[in-house]
Amino acid sequence: MNTCDHCDRPAIYHDTRVLQGVTKTVSLCEDHARECGIDIGPDGISISLNPEMMGFSFTPSVNTCPDCGMTLAIYKEKALLGCPECYVTFKEKLLPVIANLHEKHSQHVGRSPRRASADIDRHIAIRRLLSELERAVTQEAYEEAADIRDTLRELHKKDDDNAV
Amino acid sequence: MQFDPDINCPYASGTTAYGDVVLSSRARLARNLEGFPFVNRATTGDCEEVELLLAPACNSNHELTLEWVDLHKLSTIERWMCAERHLISTHFADATHPRGVMVDPELSRSVMINEEDHLRIQSIKPGLDLLNAHKDVIAIDQRMEELVAYAFDDQLGFLTACPTNVGTGARFSVMMHLPALRITKGFRKLYNACEGMSIAIRGYHGEGSETIADLYQLSNQVTLGYNEEDLRSMLEDEFLPTVIENERNARMTIIQQHGAKLDDRVFRAQGILENAGLLPLEEAMDCLGRVRLGVSLERITNVNINTINQLFIDIQQGHLQWRFGDDLNESQLQEKRAALVKEKLAA
Repeated sequence: MNTCDHCDRPAIYHDTRVLQGVTKTVSLCEDHARECGIDIGPDGISISLNPEMMGFSFTPSVNTCPDCGMTLAIYKEKALLGCPECYVTFKEKLLPVIANLHEKHSQHVGRSPRRASADIDRHIAIRRLLSELERAVTQEAYEEAADIRDTLRELHKKDDDNAV
Repeated sequence: MQFDPDINCPYASGTTAYGDVVLSSRARLARNLEGFPFVNRATTGDCEEVELLLAPACNSNHELTLEWVDLHKLSTIERWMCAERHLISTHFADATHPRGVMVDPELSRSVMINEEDHLRIQSIKPGLDLLNAHKDVIAIDQRMEELVAYAFDDQLGFLTACPTNVGTGARFSVMMHLPALRITKGFRKLYNACEGMSIAIRGYHGEGSETIADLYQLSNQVTLGYNEEDLRSMLEDEFLPTVIENERNARMTIIQQHGAKLDDRVFRAQGILENAGLLPLEEAMDCLGRVRLGVSLERITNVNINTINQLFIDIQQGHLQWRFGDDLNESQLQEKRAALVKEKLAA
């Protein structure tokens, strides 16, 4: 029997996903499955996964960023991270490196961004559409790709209208 | 974008307080958009979307005038010119992914879009003036923030592709002319002081570049744990005045103890610049550095220091080809360089 990725207890939930071209299988015990948003009721498992939460929850055991596919090996070679989520994924390894680079400091001091939630939602919506566009083009679903492009254009048209 | 190499030289430091030692000051902020991969993991589509999200910053109805320049639409020479004026990095000039630069009419403020980070906001001022360069980049930063949400972490601050920039994302740097410290072997002390204050000392073209004409870039290494104002002040108000004073003292020492040798170095260089028929870039830069020392010590009195400062940029390959044509071979470039230097020094 498989054991949980995070402890030695038997895994009752398995999930295999392809993220940025990397196949990842997750095995979880009852407790860790609940932590990741998997509802285990009397009638069995009801899945209502929050993928972001999944990626976040698995941080301690992954060597690949769930958002961009960056690995520690690539980071060590290029000295560049792949996306903001890499800082969460590799936090444990990165914090000592960052402290060494910055006179042992590990806490930001100074200005913070405005970070309106509407802006973040818009970025996420655009990124989702880009992923769908890539998939549609790969599958040669050109009509669908054209629709997605139109939706993207509409999103930017709203930006321009608001900016004027 | 209209280039006029004869105006708005970023090194026009001649009349500024520390212009004998400091050519220019630059403030730079690194920023990334929340939800998007950094440029090194981004697809073409990602890069284009980042451009589209930021493009409204160039709307003409805003008091901050910025022009959008698509690097794909610039010729190789124009891209090199941008790099030679330090509006963009050389790596950025030669890249092939979707990228652009926003520039102000004075060509002193720019925002590179899709460089190592989604945004590299920078301002260059002549002489020692990090304070105003910093004010410029804050204003641009706030303008950009009206359009996008930055990637930020409560602990680590602004998130950047390279962890060396994380935190404030702020890098302050100055271009300095330090010939006397090198000649008097005062550099060991300077290197030690830089190390103690976490200041990086680099060559003319920044990280990994060779020293040319005794021109050095000094910049803060640490970006996390201090606010931007403290980082600026530590460099501009605490560290650099001592470096400038040491360089000036070293120049005086040279005059007092090695006057003849100094004159020989300076006038020999002036002779080459005024008479050579062919000038390779390295030799021209080296001679300009020596003549600049002579001008700042008033050994040479018929040359303006700003003429030398501007020539450091004008004799670079992109600027030369822009003036004289893009089909010049190396020998013709050397000939045109020699003619241009001669003409400017005689003016």
